Amino acid sequence: MAGIVGIDVGGTFTDLYYSADGTTVDRVLKVPSTPDDPSRGLVDALAAAGIAPGAVDLILHGTTIATNAVIERKGARCALVTTKGFRDILELGRRDRQRMYGLTGVQHPLIPRADRFEVDERLDHQGRVVRPLDEDAVRALADVLAGLDVEAVVVALLHAYANPDHEERVRDILLSREPAWQVVTSASVVREYYEFERTSTAAVQGYLQPLVARYADNLSAKLTERGFRTQTLVMQSNGGLVPLAHLGSRAANIVRSGPAAGVMAAARLAAQAGFDNVITGDMGGTSYDVAVVVGGSPSVAETTELDFRVPLRLPMIDVHTIGAGGGSIAHLDRGGILQVGPESAGAVPGPACFGRGGTRPTVTDVNAVLARINAEHPIGLKHLDRLDIPAARRAIGDLGERLGLGVEETAEAILAIVNQRMAGRTRLLSVERGLDPRDFVLVAFGGAGPLHGAAIMREVGIRTMLIPPHPGVLCALGCAIADLRHDLSRTIERRAADLDAGTVASVLAEQRREGEARLVQSEARLVGTEVSHHAEMSYAGQIHTLRVPVEPGWGPERLVAAFHDAYRAEYGNTLGDIPVSVVSLKTAVLGRRAGTRPEAAREVAPSPARPSGRRPVYFGGWIDTAIYDRATLVPGATFTGPAILEQADTTTVIEPGMRARVDSFGNVLVEMA
Amino acid sequence: MDPVTLAVVRGALDQITDEMDLHLIRAALSPIISETNDCAHGLYDAATGETIAQGGYGLPQFLANMQSTVIRVIAAAAAEGGFAEGDVWIVNDPYISGTHLNDVVLVSPVYVGGRPFALFANTGHWMDMGGSVPGGWAPSATEIHQEGIIIPPLRLCEAGRTNAALVRLITANVRLPQQLQGDLAAMLNVFAVGRRGLDALVAKYGEATLRACIDELLARSETQMRSYLAEIPDGTYAVEDWFDNDGVTDAPLKVRLALTVSGSDLHFDFTGTAPTTRGPMNISDGTTQSMCLVALKHVFPDVPVNGGAFRPARFTIPPGTILAAQYPSPVGGTTDVVQRVVDVVFAALAQAIPERVPAAPFGTTGVATVSGRHPETGATFVAVYPYPGGYGASRESDGLVNGTPPGSMAKFMSVEMSEHRYPLRFEHYAIRENSGGAGLHRGGCGSTYAITALGDCVVSILGDRVDHRPPGIEGGGPAAPNDVRLRLDGREWVPPLRSKAERVPLKAGDSVRLASPGGGGYGDPFARDLALVEQDLNAGLIDRATAETAYGAVVAEARAVGDRQIYRLDAAASEAQRRGRRIG
Repeated sequence: MAGIVGIDVGGTFTDLYYSADGTTVDRVLKVPSTPDDPSRGLVDALAAAGIAPGAVDLILHGTTIATNAVIERKGARCALVTTKGFRDILELGRRDRQRMYGLTGVQHPLIPRADRFEVDERLDHQGRVVRPLDEDAVRALADVLAGLDVEAVVVALLHAYANPDHEERVRDILLSREPAWQVVTSASVVREYYEFERTSTAAVQGYLQPLVARYADNLSAKLTERGFRTQTLVMQSNGGLVPLAHLGSRAANIVRSGPAAGVMAAARLAAQAGFDNVITGDMGGTSYDVAVVVGGSPSVAETTELDFRVPLRLPMIDVHTIGAGGGSIAHLDRGGILQVGPESAGAVPGPACFGRGGTRPTVTDVNAVLARINAEHPIGLKHLDRLDIPAARRAIGDLGERLGLGVEETAEAILAIVNQRMAGRTRLLSVERGLDPRDFVLVAFGGAGPLHGAAIMREVGIRTMLIPPHPGVLCALGCAIADLRHDLSRTIERRAADLDAGTVASVLAEQRREGEARLVQSEARLVGTEVSHHAEMSYAGQIHTLRVPVEPGWGPERLVAAFHDAYRAEYGNTLGDIPVSVVSLKTAVLGRRAGTRPEAAREVAPSPARPSGRRPVYFGGWIDTAIYDRATLVPGATFTGPAILEQADTTTVIEPGMRARVDSFGNVLVEMA
Repeated sequence: MDPVTLAVVRGALDQITDEMDLHLIRAALSPIISETNDCAHGLYDAATGETIAQGGYGLPQFLANMQSTVIRVIAAAAAEGGFAEGDVWIVNDPYISGTHLNDVVLVSPVYVGGRPFALFANTGHWMDMGGSVPGGWAPSATEIHQEGIIIPPLRLCEAGRTNAALVRLITANVRLPQQLQGDLAAMLNVFAVGRRGLDALVAKYGEATLRACIDELLARSETQMRSYLAEIPDGTYAVEDWFDNDGVTDAPLKVRLALTVSGSDLHFDFTGTAPTTRGPMNISDGTTQSMCLVALKHVFPDVPVNGGAFRPARFTIPPGTILAAQYPSPVGGTTDVVQRVVDVVFAALAQAIPERVPAAPFGTTGVATVSGRHPETGATFVAVYPYPGGYGASRESDGLVNGTPPGSMAKFMSVEMSEHRYPLRFEHYAIRENSGGAGLHRGGCGSTYAITALGDCVVSILGDRVDHRPPGIEGGGPAAPNDVRLRLDGREWVPPLRSKAERVPLKAGDSVRLASPGGGGYGDPFARDLALVEQDLNAGLIDRATAETAYGAVVAEARAVGDRQIYRLDAAASEAQRRGRRIG
């Protein structure tokens, strides 16, 4: 097969990964992003990598434009149309506040109240009409909306998941008045109950659709102009791909697709290396993202809070974030206790050692001062040839004076705190799910992940850490190895005992047909289709549901038995005879692309690696430490800590008391000695 | 003290109690624990009972309640020969452990090298503790026995063995014995989780270093809290606020707080507060103390949760008042009573440091409970809707809409989910227009919802804040008061006790309409940016009369767009009017 390109457009960097034959890694590249027009950064990256149009069969792409537009509130002006009495649903949320402590601050709904309207109609929870739709009022409303400068109209009526007729009728009337409006109905985005979450998801879709559609058109034009006639697929937050041409209609699905791509890649590389249970740790400049992969499958969140009172009810790879990154600032609290983050020095002024005027000590300054990163070869910085170590020492020294510690001791203290925060979050994530983190392998990646992975591993009690061949561009790789994916869901909310096998089978069959039709529309070259079904189930009255794998043809008894099995696996017991409810039925349709299935690991004969040099590095004291060049390490190479592994996209720290070896795929596996 | 060890030990202690929280939230059978985090876990000094660390996932209302409970259990245990390794003590007596009978507290000593090192304690909300009403909340209760069974501090486990007879006695008196046993087992298991974490810490640092770190951490938290308190000008700040009534007798109940700041010491003096009521609008002194500290933590959220942060506060809460209830006063109204404690602390601090304190939030939990038989399934249902409401404005911002009470994190049910479960139809769920206090920053609007019964059922409501509105600060106006109306047989009916009503029968077609208070305003309304006044007006958050009277705005143009009026304000005329009315 011909070449594939994976490109992840992040807020700061655009990462590129190129494979000439779909399996080898032929080019890896990091260039600055171009936030004013992200498509430019993408074509720039292609040009910088010197990739000719003819050498590319497929472009696979992750992007943060959707995430940024929501967080920065830069999406389209939308109107919202709701059932009479419920226009504030989007703003009310479900009675909460931003933080557990502190009552100040407001929210900024994606659609402000003045742009929210009501129509008279009402359905009940079975979808039966309680009050018919007042179509004259909808037509009058269309005239009002025409006087507003809105690009998109979101229609979210109560119980539309049970019966979308009214929403669709409102959509048709609006479109007959103004065909240019992009009209989003809530049931077309989420076929599930919970009016706030569904309305919010539809609002995110409406808010992003014009912007994302323009981006897709723009990118297509630029690629065509440069001779790329290849298909482009874009990463979604569920870890699957969608064609560029369909991007506008899937705008809400690409929010936070970059982190999802990283988890997909980490899961895939680990599975290939023989590890099915994985914790992924992605540390960049401002944050640490952690996720869990059990049995090869990344865990999925059904709802994700994009911002305060902006939930997105779409299945997304469950990535947890804390504010701990290379730019995190160390400071003393009012009790005189050392803290690191969540405040970050950002790109400007950045860490003190970046020479852009930063004076407060950051995690990156610590790694520089302790010689863990190579001051002579700064990664990703074009404006300076070497890191400003004296500036970093001053920043850390100022803090150290207030603690009564020297520069190195202070730096090590900062490391200890930031590592503890990341290790703590990593542990909590597994504890929340009742998993023992010691049964997992840590895949550390991102620009800073491999610098701290060894410490996280030690703190959490993880036995093995895997550092992929190109940890700094793993999200781009994740795009390249993903499959196409569509998730469909529908609220049932009935006692399992009242459901007959025929109803279950027909809902699942309809979802399967719809997913498969979308795959056909994608025109992507696929080697197969995988369909899986599950039900969200609970004991009657419970709010939390469990995800239970189900099959078409199952009747009440099989459903209940499967729920009891899942409940026992999760909680260790069942609640006896309490009735069981089926909240929703779900189907995932996966279109498999060629070459996305892992190959088996080979045994390789161990041989000691040769260091490329040595330098003193601080591990509780200055230790003469071997430096290895990642590019020269061959499968089978072994070495022991303390050691520093350098490569173009990141630096890896192997602590004293750890040993490392390179597997047949070029992963570095680090273990406690 | 080595600053690195100190910082790392702090993180490790927090991690232990956070993990305990998450273990119970995952393992509990009680949906109140697993779904609204109605629990808390902490580590306490074995001698003084001071909080060493408390988990970050439990509810705010338990912030300092746990410490005062542990202190009292230490005394109870001492009277019976003290703690021994493997012991677990249990208590739910609210005059000792605060809140209400459903919150059951377990306390267990942890030994290091054969000597008591510290105490673990946890609390969880058990679904039913017996009493006259399932779930425990009996609005007409006039003595605690109607609310459920009382467990005084007792040794539940001795040398690792659980007293099965005691457990049987408890389960024989509750409606969900199996669930209770599951929750009890889960809470006992959590101590093992905590112990593993603490043992690892002892192994790593040694007992002496760990002990020294703990002492130092408490001292540092005290320093941190005092650094904030020292910035509050010295003086005594007195406030009075009111409850409408106790749900039985229609007479207002005074809450009086004189908060004295001297240097970095605080004295909360509630002398002058109304005596204990016949109805359930009472709380224990432990809960009052805890809510004072919750209010402080909302104002200074950076201060860590441990006993050091509580040291600067002293309390005078006269026994026999509604804020220091004693046997046999009922305490089921705790969810509403605690709100006023937060309100008076904010109001007192607002006199001293208005730049740091929000105006009063909505101030009532306004729980509406609807129960009956579902006409389609015949099954009994109990639907519980707690009030959302507006938060007060602050120097930083306008107030939030649809907030949860300051001591809680519990959410409002989804309308669609509610209609699936209960024979009740929502007519609206909306921002309550014109209900936030006026100000430079406007208080958050309250919320309003109405539900219509589709079959015969019964509704009880426990609210407050009808006669006394949430006040503003720094010249900001008060919010709209609570408003409860029922429509019975086509006629509007306001309960005689305004927002408290007990077991009112509803027939199909009858409805209940509730409108919660907003939050108080911050600062002079005439100083509010006219563009924001115009925006609020066009969003319907305020009406024209409010814009003109409260904000001194002059309307230049009003035009109808659909069924709405869109206004343009006259900036010059508005400024002139504001100037004139200021002088006048």
